[in-house]
Amino acid sequence: MEKSFQVQLEEIKAADILIGIPSYNNARTISHVVRAVIAGLAKYFPSARAVMVNSDGGSTDGTQDEVRRVQIEDFKTILTSHPVNPIQKIVTPYHGIPGKGSAFRTIFEAARALRAKACAVVDSDLRSITPEWMELLLGPVYEEGFDYVAPLYTRHKFDGTITNSIVYPLTRSLYGKRIRQPIGGDFGFSGKLAEFYLTKDVWETDVARFGIDVWMTTLTVAEGFKVCQSYLGAKIHDAKDPGSDLGPMFAQVVSSVYRLMEEYQSLWKGVRETHPVPTFGFRYEVGLEPVSVNVERMIGNFRLGVRDLTEIWRRVLLPETVGWLESIARLSEEAFFFPQELWVRLVYDFALAYSKGPVHREHLLKSMIPLYLGRVASFVKENQKSSADEVENEIESLCRAFEEMKPYLIERWA
Amino acid sequence: MGEVWKVTITDSLNRFLEKVLIFLPNLLAMITILVVGFLIAWIFKRLLFRFLKAIQFDRVSRQWGLADVLSKGGITYSPANLLSRFFYWVIVFVTLILGVNALEVAATQNLIAQVFNYLPHLFAAVLILVIGYLIAIFLGQATLIAAVNAQMESAKLLSRLVRWLLIIFSLTLALSQLGIAEKVITAAFSVIFGGIVLALAIAFGWGGRELAKEFLERLYKRNGKSDEKEDQISHI
Repeated sequence: MEKSFQVQLEEIKAADILIGIPSYNNARTISHVVRAVIAGLAKYFPSARAVMVNSDGGSTDGTQDEVRRVQIEDFKTILTSHPVNPIQKIVTPYHGIPGKGSAFRTIFEAARALRAKACAVVDSDLRSITPEWMELLLGPVYEEGFDYVAPLYTRHKFDGTITNSIVYPLTRSLYGKRIRQPIGGDFGFSGKLAEFYLTKDVWETDVARFGIDVWMTTLTVAEGFKVCQSYLGAKIHDAKDPGSDLGPMFAQVVSSVYRLMEEYQSLWKGVRETHPVPTFGFRYEVGLEPVSVNVERMIGNFRLGVRDLTEIWRRVLLPETVGWLESIARLSEEAFFFPQELWVRLVYDFALAYSKGPVHREHLLKSMIPLYLGRVASFVKENQKSSADEVENEIESLCRAFEEMKPYLIERWA
Repeated sequence: MGEVWKVTITDSLNRFLEKVLIFLPNLLAMITILVVGFLIAWIFKRLLFRFLKAIQFDRVSRQWGLADVLSKGGITYSPANLLSRFFYWVIVFVTLILGVNALEVAATQNLIAQVFNYLPHLFAAVLILVIGYLIAIFLGQATLIAAVNAQMESAKLLSRLVRWLLIIFSLTLALSQLGIAEKVITAAFSVIFGGIVLALAIAFGWGGRELAKEFLERLYKRNGKSDEKEDQISHI
C-alpha cells in the first residue's frame, strides 16, 4: 500500500460507505462518474460517512487530476439540502500486476482499513451512470443485509457476448444462481466480503486483471454469502475498439471461470437446479444506439481457426466434435449456423482440458477465440431481426442447454 | 632336461598366479562397482519416476508438446518413464566405465579419461537440444494461435518458420558444444540465418505481396482509417 494512501486512511479513521473507481486513462469520462457518485451519496446517504477511492493504474491523460478537480459546488441544484458529512476523496495508484483486479485489491484494502459497512465499485468509463446507481448498489447492503449486489442492465442485444455466451450460462448452470451480469463490472458488497476477498491469494493470477469480476461473483455464491441484483438501467461505455483487447480479455475471464471450476468442483457437481436471486430496482425501457457487428470477419476468423488450429483442438475435443466444426466451416456465409448444443459441448470440453492439461492453458484459451467468434457470428445472424426480449429468450434457451448438458460435463470430469 | 621343464612350467604358473592375485582384487572391485552401480541406478530410476509423477511431469510435458513429439517418434513410454529410464542408463554407463577403470588396464585408462572429459559436453548438448526443441514447439504454437487470431492467412507458414529457426539455432549451439567443426557450423548458421532473412525480405516484398498487403491493411485499419465495417459490440 502507498505510504500517502495509508496516511490518508489513518486520518479518515473510519467510514460507513466506500466507493471505489478503478481507472486507467479515463480522463474523458471519469468526471461524469465522480459527479454521479458524489450526487448519489449526498442524495441517498446524506448522513453516512462516505469515502471515494480512485485506484489508478498510472494514467498519463490527467485522470487523477480530473478526479481531484471534480466537485459539486451547489448541491441545491440537485438536492433539497446539503449532505451532513462531506465526501472524502482519495486518489492513489495501485501496485501489483497492471489490471482491474489489482485496482480492486487496493479498494478492498481501503474498505478493510476504514471498516466500511457497505462498498461499491463502478467503472470509470461509464456514460450512463446516474446518482440512483449508488442507492441501487449500496442500499441492499447498507439497509437490507445483503453481502453482494450484482448489476442488472439493459444492454444492446448484441452487447456483452462473453457474458451471454459463456459466463452467465456457465456460472448459472454450475452454481445454481441466476445472476444475469456476473461480470458487469459495477458491484455493491459488504465490508465483511471485502475483507474475505483479501484473505485469498490470487493477486498474481488472472484475477488481478479482467478475471476479477467473475471471481468476486463466483466466490460470493460458492461461499454462501447473501446475493442479490439491482436493475441499474442502460449500460453505455466510452467508445473504444472492442476487438483491441479481445484476446487477453477472453483468456483472462475464461481462465478465471475454469480455475474456479477446479476449486469448487465438489460444490458444482452437486448443484442440480438453478434459482433466481432477489432483484431490486425498477425496470424500464431504454433506447439504445444501434451497434454494428462485422459477421463476415467473425466467420472468416472461425474458418481460419478450423483450417489451422484443428491439430490443437484434436487434443481437447472428441473426433465427432472436430468433424462437426469442419462441416460448419464448409457452410456458405448465408447458411452459416453454429448450433447451441455444439457450443455448450465445446465450453465443457475446454473446461475439462483446462483442468486435465493436454495443452498449455494460455494456448488452449486463445485457441478457443475463433470458436467463440463463430458462435457469436451465428448468434448475431440468427437474431438480426429479433427484439431484445426475443434475444433474451434465446439466451435463456442457451442457459437451459448448459443445464441439460451438465451431466455430460460431470461424467467426463470424473 | 626334465628339471628345466619343471622350473619353466612352475615359473610360468607362479607368474600367472601372481598376475591373477594382482588382478583378482581389481576384478572383485569391478564386480562390486557393477552390482552397487546397477542397484543405485535401479533405485534412482524408481525414485525419480515417483518424483516426476508427484510433480505431474507428464501433464506439463503434454502441455509443452513433448508427449506429442514422443508419440510421433513412435515412443510409447510416458515422458516421466522415459526420463527416469534415461537416467538409469546414464548411471549404468558411468558404472560400466568405473568398473572397467577398476581393472586398471593401461589401454583403457586413457580412453576412460577422455570419455569423462567429454561427458559434460555431451550432456550440455543433449540438454540444449531437448530444451531448444521444446521452446521451438511452444513458440511455434503460440505464433500459430496469435497469427490465426490476428486473421493472418499465412499463420501456419509463420509458425513453421519460427519453429525451424529455433530448431536450427539450438542444433547449432549443440554442435558447437560438442566441438564438432565449430567454425563450419557457425559459418553455416550465419549463411542459413542470413539466407532466411534475405528470403523473407524478398518474399515479403515480391513473392509475398499479398501477405505484405494484408499486413499493411491491418495496420491501416488499426489506425482507424479503414472503410471496413468495425465491430462496436462490447464482448464483456
